[in-house]
Amino acid sequence: MRREATVKASLAAALAGLVLWGGLPLYRHRHFGVPVVKGPGVTAVLKLSEFSKGLEGTAADTTVFVLQGKEPGGRALVMGNTHASEPEGMLTALIFIEHAVVEKGTLYVIPFFNASAGRNTRPGDGYPLYFDVPTEWGSKRFRFGNRDASPLDQWPDPDVTVHYPTKQLLSYIDARNTNRTWPGRPGGLPMERVTFGAMELIRREKVDLAIDIHGAETMFPVTNCIVAPEKSVRVATMAALTVKAAEGFESHVEPSPPRFHGLSHREIGDHSDALPFLLEAPIPFLDQPTGPKTVEFFLDGKDPFLLSLSKKKKLFVPYDETGWSLEKRVGQHCSTTLEIFRQFSRRNADRALVVKGVPRYAEILENGVGHYYADPSKAAPGTVLRH
Amino acid sequence: MSLVTIAYYVLTAFLLGLVIWNFVREKVSRDRLVLYLLVMVPLILRLLRVK
Ligand SMILES: [Zn+2]
Repeated sequence: MRREATVKASLAAALAGLVLWGGLPLYRHRHFGVPVVKGPGVTAVLKLSEFSKGLEGTAADTTVFVLQGKEPGGRALVMGNTHASEPEGMLTALIFIEHAVVEKGTLYVIPFFNASAGRNTRPGDGYPLYFDVPTEWGSKRFRFGNRDASPLDQWPDPDVTVHYPTKQLLSYIDARNTNRTWPGRPGGLPMERVTFGAMELIRREKVDLAIDIHGAETMFPVTNCIVAPEKSVRVATMAALTVKAAEGFESHVEPSPPRFHGLSHREIGDHSDALPFLLEAPIPFLDQPTGPKTVEFFLDGKDPFLLSLSKKKKLFVPYDETGWSLEKRVGQHCSTTLEIFRQFSRRNADRALVVKGVPRYAEILENGVGHYYADPSKAAPGTVLRH
Repeated sequence: MSLVTIAYYVLTAFLLGLVIWNFVREKVSRDRLVLYLLVMVPLILRLLRVK
């Protein structure tokens, strides 16, 4: 009898140890704050819950950085981390927050769009919990998030997701995917409240351009492109041609399918006057048949298995020994975003948007992404937020 | 937190209670003891709001 109790007690203690060992890093990840340094162009910091009351006080609420120019003009919204396993959008958004100076018009930047997904993890796929971007002052640490919101913030999942308002049936997991819950609704599930907040911001602030920045597998056909619905195609095409001719990188235009609902590039355009664009750059790290998911692989995009698949023509993008570095991916996003602003402004002089200070593709390739992040410990007081 | 979510947390706690009960009552099999403990892991992590 006593022996049995001892066995049970030691097994239970082993379990407690296992739970602590596995759970603590996940708990710390969820509560880790990424420092965001406000640059000279930031004129206001809002919460998305100001546009969607149902988000107030929840982990799904997120920060909106406003960069208002001296002169009135066009308005654009830039979103990163809609899918937090594709952090290039967030890294691009942070470069805008630290460096953009708006001369004409207003820029709204949401770096952590699906804030809950940014605090979710993917240990089952062997993803790291963090990644560090090298800078001149050390390295800047970011959480590696997941594609979908954390079940801690939206649970349970439905058997099938019924898209609002079309009633189109989507996969169960898409209830937590903020690129399937557009246009959202005020009293819906938390992720519908997030997209509803952005829709309200777009409508109330009369946003002209909404740019949702992603990344995709090299084996996925929709990659290295600008996804645009009919109304955005002209601006997208001119931007794609210009970056190819002037900066030498490919970003073709993919039409937004009219009957596939819930996606930002479909619903933003259908439910507001804004022109939506979704940017994709290849992230080799996201592909399935690769080596270990290390931070180094995330940064340089080099993988021997993808290289051999590329030789067998199984990839949708050119791929060689040089990989597909973070610099290339973020550089493409910065340039394409700026080019969309420029092409729109050329056609709409009264709604022009003039943004200075943001580096383009070649500069980022040369200096690295980390070059554009200031040391938060040396930043002026009151300019650092943790997200 | 919605009512449905609260109901799921209550269900999780109930399931965890059942497994703990089985663990305490198990007299014969050590394998079963280990299996009960493994089944508890996701339930505990969810109740503690860790994963
Ligand atoms: Zn994505």
